[in-house]
Amino acid sequence: MSSGLNIFVLVKQVPDQGSKAGINPDGTIDRAKAKRMLNPFDRFALQAALHAKKNYGGKVSAISMGPPPAVEILLECLEHGVDDAYLLSDRRLAASDTLATAFALFKTVAHVGKPDLVFCGLQTTDGDTAQVGPQLAERMGLPQITYCEDFSIEGNKVHGRRIIEGGYQKVVSEMPLLITVANSYHPLEYKSFRGAWRVQRLARNEEELKKYIHTVDLDLVGADPERTGLKGSPTIVAATEKVGEIGGNCRMHEGQSIDHLVKDVVKETNLAQFMTV
Amino acid sequence: MSDRIEYDLLLVGGSPSNLTLAYRFLQLAKDSGKDFSIAILEKGKEFGSHILSGAVSNPHVIQKIFPDYKEKGMPIEAVCNDSNMSVLGMEKKWDIPKKLYPKTFDKTGYLVLTLSHVTNWLANQVQALAKDVPNVTVDLFTGFAAHSVAFEEGKVVGVSVSEEPQSEEDYVYGKITCFGDKGFISREVIDQYKLRDCQQIWSVGVKEVWQLDEKAENVEGKVWHTLGYPLIDGTFGGGFVYGMKDKKLTIGMVISLDSADPNMNPQQKLQDYKKHPFIQKMIEGGKLLKYGAALLPEGGYYSLPKKFYVPGAILLGDALGVLNVKNLAGIDRAMECGYVGAKVAFDALIKGDTSEAALAPYQQQLEDSFVIKESYNDRYFRWAFIENPKLLGQYLPDMVKSIDKSSPWMGMLKIGFKNPLGATKDGIRSLGLIEGKLDIGPIKYKPDFTHIVPDFVKPKYDEPKYDKATIYSRADAVFFAGTKYHEGNRHIDEFNADTCVKCISKYDKLGKDTPCVSDCTAEVHRVDVIDDLKKHGMSLENCVHCRTCEIVCPEVNLRVKPTSQGSGPDFIGL
Repeated sequence: MSSGLNIFVLVKQVPDQGSKAGINPDGTIDRAKAKRMLNPFDRFALQAALHAKKNYGGKVSAISMGPPPAVEILLECLEHGVDDAYLLSDRRLAASDTLATAFALFKTVAHVGKPDLVFCGLQTTDGDTAQVGPQLAERMGLPQITYCEDFSIEGNKVHGRRIIEGGYQKVVSEMPLLITVANSYHPLEYKSFRGAWRVQRLARNEEELKKYIHTVDLDLVGADPERTGLKGSPTIVAATEKVGEIGGNCRMHEGQSIDHLVKDVVKETNLAQFMTV
Repeated sequence: MSDRIEYDLLLVGGSPSNLTLAYRFLQLAKDSGKDFSIAILEKGKEFGSHILSGAVSNPHVIQKIFPDYKEKGMPIEAVCNDSNMSVLGMEKKWDIPKKLYPKTFDKTGYLVLTLSHVTNWLANQVQALAKDVPNVTVDLFTGFAAHSVAFEEGKVVGVSVSEEPQSEEDYVYGKITCFGDKGFISREVIDQYKLRDCQQIWSVGVKEVWQLDEKAENVEGKVWHTLGYPLIDGTFGGGFVYGMKDKKLTIGMVISLDSADPNMNPQQKLQDYKKHPFIQKMIEGGKLLKYGAALLPEGGYYSLPKKFYVPGAILLGDALGVLNVKNLAGIDRAMECGYVGAKVAFDALIKGDTSEAALAPYQQQLEDSFVIKESYNDRYFRWAFIENPKLLGQYLPDMVKSIDKSSPWMGMLKIGFKNPLGATKDGIRSLGLIEGKLDIGPIKYKPDFTHIVPDFVKPKYDEPKYDKATIYSRADAVFFAGTKYHEGNRHIDEFNADTCVKCISKYDKLGKDTPCVSDCTAEVHRVDVIDDLKKHGMSLENCVHCRTCEIVCPEVNLRVKPTSQGSGPDFIGL
């Protein structure tokens, strides 16, 4: 592969778990009130993409879908060392479910180019469906390695290790390929000061910034608006229930060893009845 | 790529002092016709997320820089309309008549602030002003701490932005570096140039913000500073309760770390404080919103570094130690440092001279200002209580008892009867020191941990009745500090594990916890039993960066360092 890999990483901006996001009357999350951050699961995908670039050469493009403030996470990706970024932002995308989202992303990815590798996080912390990655692979007609916690590339083949219940599974697939990265993968490395410095410079110059962060809409990527947003989403949120306040009682157990501590906890609670050993 | 990144001004710490400096500098540079560059490093994930204060503050310095601070939307929680100084018994509270306490404790007309919000607002103001001053570039770096100071040929030239700097890539340079941190990094400068004759001494502030019940009485603008319960063991310190808008309430304590009690536990002292009926009445049915802790440099005048500047750098705010305990004030003083520092830095950069001599006016101007003048007047305030432990160890507890049983006046009489000559003599000398009228020359504090008495016996008392739902264990409280760490973080150094083993065994024999375990404000330090040996362990993911453990460690075996990538607590709202 003389020209190097064309690597895409899909990222999403989610409400910061630390801030208390409100809930709209219709049961969806009130995103305006919450602080925002890069989806923690995507941090592993981003690291995997950067690893692939570092080890096998190529170029990383970050792709996101969301309202204009989502540019913040794309700047963060640039700080970490991705080469360029694309933001699909369109009011008609509001209230998209996973089907509509995967469709819009599929069109966006096709607009951006032909990837060798597409990395996604396992899931997001706001929707927690873990469906968009696999759906996107299906739409693109690509094989996929989900729950991938390690990978290497030999020739045109990707050797991946995926977590399964009770162990792991080794799989081999040809590129192009979509990988959803498990959170047992290497955590995202610290961004460099140089990277942050470069992005600060960039962010001051709007014209220059446009060369690195491309904002696209549904018309540009050629996605039928009927198949996105609320219209394109068969999912209906029937109700959202608040299951109590976060916070509660925490007790620190101290003692000889983990075994002792576990025994203590079991003794103090009614867990014993569920124990099989 | 390996070119140096150099700014004209490198500001270490997104503190009120540094942000004031940046803002003032922009004002000065606006019509100068010259180009400048400023970088601000903030270790928190956003400006304000690692800052915590009481706070009730005199807006005089804010007014100088932002005459229109109200229009500019500075976040203000309340304007103090009722300032009280009170002594707490176990059950009752005595509001001291205004004539009997120093007028510096009267905060009427001052602003009740959430310093994290104010700091964030300041950073936004700097950014907004920078847009109008195209000849100055301002880069704000959040999530980047300075990890060590870079010296070249006897001059401060910048800082490293990596825990383990490898190459030029890991440094950022400044023609003038301004240290507005809380000592995490400026201590390297102070050590390098041997600037300290007298030890800095510290206290820890623990604070909670509550959302009061809808039916609770509106106390917006009411301010209480209290002495007495629960600090009746001779430890210097006190409590504060500030009423804020939207039925929010600040409850906090400031407790000196020179306590004789090795198991002082500031977070639990704050819980004890909340058990007092005076506070119970207010928080009943309310909800805890935030918790946090931070250190305060209390040494005052004699703990100031000999020089406030070194070649290529100046020290501001808490890095300097301008907090004034008698005034219960620090924010205005820190901001004044920034205000003065901006002009000196501006003049130095215009002249192209950042030598020691060029920065010397910074110290002169601060010495001519209220900051150091008041610090000089109050130079013995803290010392008066160290010199005579009876004030807090004997007279105050007697007073506390009388407040519950008879009256404060009877208490004073009793103190007089019990110590017919002593009390009067003590009173005259201490008052002389407190008021700054008696001059006893320079003083030298001993490190805080040297005051620890390992077999200290805590005074016993019956706790007031309280609602359990309003009291939080330390482990529960940490949740409300919003700590978040990146994987692999190790920001507290333990120098020698054997030293900790010995220390643990020593306190174990006395039936006590080590000071690091008990005084930690966030359930970080713990004792692990490994192969029947009790060892020191740390749950670093809980840490709120207060640095208490480092100060109280009797073996000087711990060091708290800045963290990377915005790890740490989230104090926004405190």
